[in-house]
Amino acid sequence: MSDVADQAYLNTRVSVMATRLFPPDLAEQLIQMPLPALAERFGLTALLDEQHTTAARSRAVEQSLIWLLMTELQILIRPMKSAERGLLLAWGRKYALFNLKTLIRGKLYELDQKDIGDNLYDLPESIRLPDRALFGAENVLEMLRQLEAGPHHRIARQAREVYEQQREPFALEATVDQHYFADLAHRILTFDSHQQASLRRLIGVELDRTALLWMLRFRFSYQLSPSETFYQLVPSPRLLTRERLLNLVNLENLERILESLPEPLNQTMADCRTIADVQRRMELHTQREIRWLLARSPSGVARALAYLMLREADLMRLFAVVQGRLLGFPNDRVEMALNLIDPECATGAGQAA
Amino acid sequence: MKHVRLLVLTENLPQASLALAETESFHPDTRPPTETQLAGLPGREYREVFIQAKSRLDKIVRHIPLDPVAEIAPIRVIDAEELIQLNDWLGPLWDETSGYEEDFRLLDDEERLVKEQQAALANFAELNIDLGMLQTKTRFLDIHIGLVPRENLRQLEGAVGLAHHILHVYMQQDDNAHVVIVGPKGDKESTLTTVLSAAGFQRLPIPQGLDRPPAELQRELAARLNGIEEQRRTLEETLVRWSAPQRPKLIEARHTLLLAEPLVELDASLRSAGHLAHLAGWVPARAVERLKQRLSKTLDQPFDLTLRDPLPEERPLVPTVASKNRLLIPFAMLVDQYGIPSYGEVDPTPLFAITFLLMFGSMFGDLGQGAVIAGAAFLARRKLGRFWLFGLLAGFASMGFGLVYGSVFGYEHVLPALWMSPLSDPLLMLSIALVWGVIFITTACLLAIYNRLVIRNWSGALFGHHGVVNLIFYLALVAGGLEVARGGGIGIHTVVLVAGSLAALAWHSWRHQDGGLGEKILVVFIETLETVIGYVSNTLSFLRVAAFSLNHVALSIAVFTLADMMGAFGHVVTVILGNLFVLVLEGGIVMIQVMRLQYYEGFSRYFSGDGHAFKPLRFRRGFS
Repeated sequence: MSDVADQAYLNTRVSVMATRLFPPDLAEQLIQMPLPALAERFGLTALLDEQHTTAARSRAVEQSLIWLLMTELQILIRPMKSAERGLLLAWGRKYALFNLKTLIRGKLYELDQKDIGDNLYDLPESIRLPDRALFGAENVLEMLRQLEAGPHHRIARQAREVYEQQREPFALEATVDQHYFADLAHRILTFDSHQQASLRRLIGVELDRTALLWMLRFRFSYQLSPSETFYQLVPSPRLLTRERLLNLVNLENLERILESLPEPLNQTMADCRTIADVQRRMELHTQREIRWLLARSPSGVARALAYLMLREADLMRLFAVVQGRLLGFPNDRVEMALNLIDPECATGAGQAA
Repeated sequence: MKHVRLLVLTENLPQASLALAETESFHPDTRPPTETQLAGLPGREYREVFIQAKSRLDKIVRHIPLDPVAEIAPIRVIDAEELIQLNDWLGPLWDETSGYEEDFRLLDDEERLVKEQQAALANFAELNIDLGMLQTKTRFLDIHIGLVPRENLRQLEGAVGLAHHILHVYMQQDDNAHVVIVGPKGDKESTLTTVLSAAGFQRLPIPQGLDRPPAELQRELAARLNGIEEQRRTLEETLVRWSAPQRPKLIEARHTLLLAEPLVELDASLRSAGHLAHLAGWVPARAVERLKQRLSKTLDQPFDLTLRDPLPEERPLVPTVASKNRLLIPFAMLVDQYGIPSYGEVDPTPLFAITFLLMFGSMFGDLGQGAVIAGAAFLARRKLGRFWLFGLLAGFASMGFGLVYGSVFGYEHVLPALWMSPLSDPLLMLSIALVWGVIFITTACLLAIYNRLVIRNWSGALFGHHGVVNLIFYLALVAGGLEVARGGGIGIHTVVLVAGSLAALAWHSWRHQDGGLGEKILVVFIETLETVIGYVSNTLSFLRVAAFSLNHVALSIAVFTLADMMGAFGHVVTVILGNLFVLVLEGGIVMIQVMRLQYYEGFSRYFSGDGHAFKPLRFRRGFS
C-alpha cells in the first residue's frame, strides 16, 4: 500500500479536525467576550458556577480544556502504528510531567495532600503517570524511586541522581524537561525518510523555539555559565543544532546572540530588545511553520501532531482569556498575554495560579 | 435485584458498613441522592487517612512480610480517632523502614560501583597518562574520573568543552560510559561541578597503588565485594531483629485497616446532612431479608431501609450477579471476554457451555485425544485455576464424540462406532451441520426477541435486527430452500412470507432514514440485500462444524499414510508425533472456530454484553 493510501484515514481525520482551529480573527473577538459569552460559545459550564472560588473555576476550565486536547489526541492515534502512536503520546506526556513537577514541588515544600491533589491534571490512562502511587509517597526521593520502577525509569533515575546531589527543584525540573524534549527528538529517528523529513521540521521548529528561549533565560535571567546553559539545552535537528548552540551559548549578550542566529531566525528576531520580544516573535514564527506543515506535509503523523500543537495553543489562548476575565484583568493585559502564548508557560502559569 | 436506600445516623456509619460487608450482598450505587440537602461527604476525611495509612502499611510489609490473613475476627468498629492514631504510628515506622531500604540501596550502588571498577581496572592501563596523577591533587589540573549515562555523553562533552576541559571516554559498559575529564584549575571548576551533577556523573574512586600488580588490585576489589555482602547480611539481621517486636502490631494494624476498608469503599456513595447519612445500593432480592436482620442486630440507633424494584431507566445501572455454578464458571469467564449480561438479559453462559461442548466435541471427536486433553487439564489444574474444568469438559466432549465416531488416536477401525465415522457419509454430516446452524440461529433470534421484550422495546423485538420479522423471513427462506432441495418449487406461501417480511423490513428501514431520496433508496436496498446475504452466509458458516469433523479424520489418514511408509519404530514415532500435531494444531483451530461461531453467530445476535458485574461490599483477605 502506498504511503498516501496508508494514511488516507488519518489525513482525512486531521483535515476534518483542523476546522476546529480558531480562525485568525477569533483571538481579537475572545478578548472582547464576557464570561457568559465564553462559557456559552465553548461549552465551559464550570465558568458560571458561582459556588466555587475563582481558583477552582479556573482550574476546572483548564482541566476541561486539557481533557479535550487529550481526547482529540486519543482519537488521532487510533489508526496509527506503534512508533507513530508513541510519538504523539510522548508529546502529550508533557501534561503527565506537569503532574510530576507538581508532586515534586508539593512533596518538597511539604504541602497539604489536598492542595497537591487539587493541582493534578486528570489525564487518560495512556498518558498518566502512576499518580496514585506517587501521591502516596512520603517524600521526593521515595516518589522518584517508585517512578524508577516503571516505564519512566530513565527520566526518574536521572532526576533522582540530580535531586540527590542538588536537592532543589530547578535542576530537577530542568532535567525532566530536557528528557522530555530529547525523547521527542530521539523518536523521530525511528521513522522512514518519507515521514522523517516532515517530523524533523515539525519537532525541529519546536526545539528551535525551546532552545533559543531557554538559552536566553538561562544565560541572562538566571545568569548561568555557558557550560551550565549548554548542558540543559536540547539541540534541534533543524536550525539550532548542537554546533550552533555551542557557539551561541558562549556569546556575552542578547544582541550578539540574535545577530548570530542562522537564517531565517536572525531576520525574524531583528530589532528584538528583550526576551519577551524574542518569545513573541518566536511564537509567531513557530505557529507559521506548524500551520505550513498542517497544510502541506505529506506525512499524516506530522499533520496530526501539527494539529495538536496548534489546537493546544488555541486552547491555551482561550484559557488565558478566561483566566484574565476571572481575575478581572484589563483587556490590554489579556491581549499582551495572548501574544506571548506558549503552551509551556501558559500551563505553568495555570499551575502557579 | 432491589434498589436499597439506607438512612442512618452518621455516628452509626462504621457499624452499618461492617454489617453490609459481612452480608456480602450490597453493591454501592454512587449516584448522589435527589435531595439536595444531602450534600455532605461524611467519609472523605476518613478515606484520606485510610489511604495514607494503607500506603504506609503496604510499603512496610514489603520489608517485613506478614503471614496471610486467616480470618478477620473479631469484627469491631474502627472510628476516625483510632484510624488517625494508627496512621500516626505507621508514619515514623515507615520512616525507619525506609531508612533500611535506603541502606540496602546504598549497598547495591556501592556494589555496582566496585563491579564497574573491576571492569575498568584493565582499561586504566589503556589510558595514555600518568596514573599516579589521578590520585593526587595537582596545582594546575582539575581531573574527574567517573561514570556518566551514555545518553548524556554527547551533551556533556559540549558543556565540558565550554568550561575549557576535555572529555575522554576510555570504556563503555551497559548504559554507562567511563570518562576522564581534565582541564585547568580555576573559576570554571565550580561551573563544571554543577554540569557534572546535572549529567548524573558518578565519581569513580581510584584504587590505591595503581602501580601494583593487577591481580592484587582485583583481590582488593573482590574483598570489598565480600565486605559489602557481609554488610548486607548484617543489615538483614538487624532488620529482622528490629522488626520482630513490630510484627504483632503490624498484624493488628492490617486487621484494623481491613475493618476500616468497607467504610472507605462506601465513600463514593455516601452523602450526609447534619447527623443523617444516606447510602444507596443494589441488593439481590433473595438477600434482602438477611441484610435487614443484620442491620437491625448491628445498629444501636434507629435506621430506615427502603426497597424498590429498579426503574426502567435504571436498567443499565443495575449490576448482574455472575453464575456461581462451579461447572459454568470457566464458561462464564469466556462470556465475560465478550461482555457482561445486562440486567434482565438472558445470561448466555448455560447455552454457551452446552453448544460449545457439542460443537467442539463434534468437530474434534476422538476418544484418545479427548482423554489427553482432559488428562492434561487435570494435571495442570493448579496452574489453570478455575479454568481447568473447561479443559476437562472439552476433553470429555471430545471423548464422547470419539465413541460416537469410533475414533481413538485417529484409528477409525479399532473401536466400533456407536453411530458412524464422519467420512462414511460426508453429505449427511454437512446436512446435519446445516440443520444445526438453522437451530442455532433460530434460537439466537428468539433470545434476541425475548431480550427486547423484557425491556419493552416492542419495535426492536418486531423489526430490529434478528427480531420477529427477520425470523419469519429466515424460517421462510429455510423452508423455501428445503422445498427446492427436495426437488419441488418454492410454494406461493413461502414466496409471500419472504417477500412480505423483506418489504416490512425495508419499510421500517425507510422510516428511519434521513437524507435525500436517492440516498434512502440506496441504503434501504443495501440493508435489505445484506439481510438476505447475511442469513444465507451465516447458515452456511455452520458447515465448518461438519468440515472439521471430516478434516479430523482426513488428517488422521494423512498421519497413518506417512506412518505406513516407515518401519515399525518409525510408524510408532510418526503416529505419536502426528497425534501431537493434530492435538495442538487442529485442536487450537477448532477452539478458535467454535469461539467464532459463538461470538459472531450467537452473541452478536442476542447478547448486548453491556452490563456490569455485581461487586458487593466485602472484607478483603489482605492488602497487595
